[in-house]
Amino acid sequence: MATTVAAPPSRAATLKYEKGIWSWLTTTDHKKIGQLYLYTALAWFLVGGIEALIIRTQLYGPNGRLVSADTYNQLFTMHGTTMIFMAIMPLSAAFFNFLIPLQIGARDVAFPRLNAFSYWIFLCGSLFINASWLIHKAPDGGWFSYAPLSTRTFNPGLNMDFWVIGIQILGVSTLAAGFNFITTIINMRAPGMHFMRMPVFTWAAFVTQFQIILAFPILTVAVVFLLFDRFFGTQFYEPAAGADPLLWQHLFWLFGHPEVYILILPAFGLVSEVLPTFSRKPLFGYPVMVYSLILIAFLGFGVWAHHMFAVGMGPIADSVFSVTTMLIAIPTGVKIFNWLGTMWGGSLRFTTAMLFAIGLVCLFTIGGISGVMHASPPADLQQTDSYFVVAHFHYVLFGGSMMGLFAGVYYYFPKVTGRIMNETLGKWHFWLMFIGMNLTFFPMHFAGLDGMPRRIWSYDANQGWTNDNHVSTIGAYILFVGMLIFVYNMWRSRRSGTRVGNNPWDAPTVEWSTPSPPPPYNYAKIPQITSRYPMWTREGPHSISAAYPVGAPAEAPEPTAEELHIPMPTPTLKPLLASLALTLAFIGLIWHKQVPIIILGLALFAVVLLSWVLTPLEPEH
Amino acid sequence: MTVSHHPRRPLRIAVTLVLALALVACSGYPNTTIGAHSDVGREIDSLTYLLLILGGIVFVFVEGLLVYILIKFRERPGDTTPAQTHGNTTLEVTWTMLPAVILAIIAVPSVRTIFRTQAKAVPNALQVDVVGHQWWWEFRYPQYKVITANELYLPVGRTVNFSLRTDDVIHSFWIPQMSGKRDVVHKDRPNYMWFTPESSFVWNGACAEYCGASHSNMRFKVFTVPPAQFATWIKHQQQGPVFPAAAAAATAADTSKGAAATAAVAAAAPADTATGTWPRDKLPSWTIPETPVPANVTVAATSGDATRGAQLFKTGACIGCHTIQGVSPGIIGPNLTHVGSRTTIAGALYPNDIEHLRLWIKDARAMKPGSIMPPMGKGLPETMGTFTDQQIADLAAYISSLK
Repeated sequence: MATTVAAPPSRAATLKYEKGIWSWLTTTDHKKIGQLYLYTALAWFLVGGIEALIIRTQLYGPNGRLVSADTYNQLFTMHGTTMIFMAIMPLSAAFFNFLIPLQIGARDVAFPRLNAFSYWIFLCGSLFINASWLIHKAPDGGWFSYAPLSTRTFNPGLNMDFWVIGIQILGVSTLAAGFNFITTIINMRAPGMHFMRMPVFTWAAFVTQFQIILAFPILTVAVVFLLFDRFFGTQFYEPAAGADPLLWQHLFWLFGHPEVYILILPAFGLVSEVLPTFSRKPLFGYPVMVYSLILIAFLGFGVWAHHMFAVGMGPIADSVFSVTTMLIAIPTGVKIFNWLGTMWGGSLRFTTAMLFAIGLVCLFTIGGISGVMHASPPADLQQTDSYFVVAHFHYVLFGGSMMGLFAGVYYYFPKVTGRIMNETLGKWHFWLMFIGMNLTFFPMHFAGLDGMPRRIWSYDANQGWTNDNHVSTIGAYILFVGMLIFVYNMWRSRRSGTRVGNNPWDAPTVEWSTPSPPPPYNYAKIPQITSRYPMWTREGPHSISAAYPVGAPAEAPEPTAEELHIPMPTPTLKPLLASLALTLAFIGLIWHKQVPIIILGLALFAVVLLSWVLTPLEPEH
Repeated sequence: MTVSHHPRRPLRIAVTLVLALALVACSGYPNTTIGAHSDVGREIDSLTYLLLILGGIVFVFVEGLLVYILIKFRERPGDTTPAQTHGNTTLEVTWTMLPAVILAIIAVPSVRTIFRTQAKAVPNALQVDVVGHQWWWEFRYPQYKVITANELYLPVGRTVNFSLRTDDVIHSFWIPQMSGKRDVVHKDRPNYMWFTPESSFVWNGACAEYCGASHSNMRFKVFTVPPAQFATWIKHQQQGPVFPAAAAAATAADTSKGAAATAAVAAAAPADTATGTWPRDKLPSWTIPETPVPANVTVAATSGDATRGAQLFKTGACIGCHTIQGVSPGIIGPNLTHVGSRTTIAGALYPNDIEHLRLWIKDARAMKPGSIMPPMGKGLPETMGTFTDQQIADLAAYISSLK
C-alpha cells in the first residue's frame, strides 16, 4: 500500500521545495506558515511602532508641528489598524499555526493549503492597505472608522477606500484560518488527547477561533455595507437618507469587543504554558482556567455597547451593558488569581519568557482595573475618548497581549529553530520594554483625567498636559530601543544561538517530545496521550536542579517522511496564486472601479481555485 | 457600639485625602475631570473616587501579592520539586466571589447615578441647543432667541439643559470641569444632557469624538456667570450688531430686522458692564489659545476702516455663509452678530484680535486644516474672494467692532 510509491520524486525536485525562497512560497507546512506569520507580523509591529514614535514625537511638546494634522490622522488610524489586524492578530496566528498541531499531537492542520492561503491573503491585504502610504492617502477615519465620517460624503478621498477593502481582505484570511483551526482541534487530536487534557494554549486558541468565526462575519457585513455605500451609492450609513447614525457603531463594536478578547486570549494561553514550566508546578485550577476562557468569550459578545456610553442609548441600555461589563471582570480576575496560585509554592525561574509572563500578570491587572472604571457609565463619560482610555487599552494590549506574545516567542523559539534565544539580551529587552511601557502609558492616565481628549494633533502649553506628554514620549523611545534589541537578538540567535534538544525548558506538554525543530511530519509516531502533562511524571518535572537548556541536541538527522512512509502534502503555489488573483480584483475596485481588472482577477481566482480543488493534497500512491 | 458611632470615618478620611490631592492637581490642570464644579459633575466625582479607592485596594493587593510570591518562591539552590498542587476549590470559589462583591459595590451606585443624571431636566431649566459643525460649535438659546458660536454663557445656580444635534458627522460635547461628555449624533436624534453650574469662572470645552481633519481644533469656552450678569449678556446678545453702519445696512434689509438694528445702535455701549461679557483682562491664562500662526500665512499690518469693511462685507461673499443680524442671513458659518464680544475665533483656536482676524479672513484653510471657510485673500489658491490686504484690514476692523 503506502510502501509502493509510484515514482519517488527526484532528489533535485525535492530539494527545490525544501530549501530557499521557493520552499517558503510553496509550503503547506504549518510550522513554516507559522514562521511566515511570525516574521511578517513582527515587521508590521515595527511599522506600527514607528508610526507610534512619530505620533509621540509630534505630541512631545505643545503645538508640535512635526507632521500635518492630516498626516497625524492617517498615522493614528494606521497605528491602530496595523497593531490590531497586522501585528497582534497575526502574531497570535503564528502561534496557532505552529503550536496547535504540535500540541494536539497531529501532523498538520486539517486543511494545509487553506492555511497557506490564509497567510498569503493576509500578506496581500496588509501590503494593500499600507500601499496607501505611497500616495500619502492612508486611511484617516480612526481604526474604528465611525460612519458617517467614513462615508463618501465626508471622506471622499481614496483613504477610506484602502481601509474598507484592506480590512475585507484581512477578514478573509482570519475567517479561513478560524474554520481551519476549529476543524483541526476537533478532529485531529492524538489518541487520548481528551478536551480536558488539551494544553491551555490550544484551549485558548480553540475558544478564540469560535469568537473569530462569530465576530468577523459581523465586521464583514458592516464593511460590505460601507464598501457598497462608497463604491455603488447605497445609503446604509447616510443619515441624510434616513440611515441610523449609530448603525455602524453597533455593528462595529459587536465585532469590536469580541475582537478585544480575540487579541488577549491567545496571550493568556501562552502565559498559562509558560508559568507552570518555570514555576515547576502544574497550572493551578486547570478546569476553572478553561471555563473562564469560555465564559470570557461568551460574555464578550454581550458588552459591546460599553464603547458607546456617550452616544445616548438611555438609562436602561447603559445599566445593562454596565453590569454585563462588570460581570466579565469576574472570570478575568479568576485567571489572574489562578496564575498567582500557579506560582505560589513553586520554584520560580526568571527566564526571559517567565519575566514576560509575569509582566502580563502585573500589567494586565492595571488595564483590568481601569477597565472596571470604564464599566461605570457616569464615570466613563469623563474617561471615554480621553487619554485615560488610551492608557487603559495599551495596558491591556501592550501590557497584556504583547507581553504574553513575547513570552511565547522566547519560550517557543527553541522549538521553532532548534536554538535558544540569548537570555542576556532577552532580559535587556524585557526591562527596557517593561520600564518603557510604563513610562509611555501610565502618564496617559493623568493626561486623560486632566481632560486631554484622544486623537488630538496638538495642544497648547497652558492646558497642563505637557509634562505627561514629555514622559510618554521618552518612554516610547525606551520601548523602541527594547524592541530593536529583540530584533537583533532574534536575528543573532537564529544564526548562532545555542543548539537545544527536544525539551530545553523541561516543559510538561507533548510538543516538547519532538525534536527541535520538529521534522516536517511532527511526530514519527503519533503520540498516545495519558495525562495533561505527558512530559512530567506524577511527581512533577524531572530535572529540578538542571540549568537551561536541558538535554543535548540530537546527533543524527531525523529520518525523512519518505523513509518513514508518511504521506506529506505536495508543495503548491496555488494558495499564493489564488491570493494574488483575489487581490488583483480588489485593486481593480479601488483603481477607479476598473471592471475589466476586477473580472480578470475574479476569473484568475476561479481558475486557480478550480485547479486547486481538482489536485489532491498528497501525491497519489 | 463605639465603632458604629463613626462607621464611615475611614472612608471619609480617604475621600478627604483624595479631594485634597484633587485640589492640588487642580492648580496646574485647568481641564481636570476631578473635583467638578456642577451638581452632576460632583455625582460623577463621587463615583470616580469610589472607583479609584477600590481600584487602588485591588491594585495594592494583587501587585503586592505578586511581588511577595516572586520573592518568596524564587528558585534557590537546593530546591526540591515543589508540591504538585492542581487547585483548591475553596480558594477558587473565594476569589470568584470576592470580585463579585466589589463589583456589586460599584454597580449599585453606578446604576443609581445613571438614572438620576439621565432623568429629565427640571422644567425651568435654561435650554441651550448645541449644534456641532465641522469644526466649530453653534449655541442657540431658544428661550431668548439668541444664536452664538464657540462661547457659551451659563448662569450659576440654574440648571442648563443641552439638546445636542449635528448636521454632519458625530461629535462629542465635553466640558471636563463641569460634567461628562455626550455625543452629538444627528439632527433628528438629539441627545440631552443637563447640569447646574455651581461656581463662576471660565472653562475650556472640546470636541471629544474624532470628527475629521480639524478635530483637535474644535474647542470652545464656557463662562459661568452670576445670574444678573447672564441677564445682561443675554439682553445684549438679543440686540442687533453694535455698529453704526449696521443701521444703514439694515434699511436695505427687511424692515423688522432693521428696526431692531437701529434700536441696538442707540443702546450701544461696548463696555463689559453693558454687554455682560467676561472682561478680557480677567481671563485666566489657560483660556487664551496659543496656536502658532502657520509660517506661510502673512498679511500686511495696515490699519483698517470699519465703515469700508462693512460695505465689503455686504458686497462680498461673506453674506453667503454668515449671519449678522440685520445685515446678512447666511447660516453655513458662525453667527457674527456679536463676534467682537468673543474672546476667541475659529473654534477657540486663535485669540480674537485684529491680527488673527486678518490672517483668518485671508487664508482660513491654512490657519485651520480642512476649514470649510475658503481663503478670501487675492491670488491665493482656491480663493473665494479677491480681497487685498487693505480690504482684509477693513473687514477685520468691521468684524472686531461688532461687540
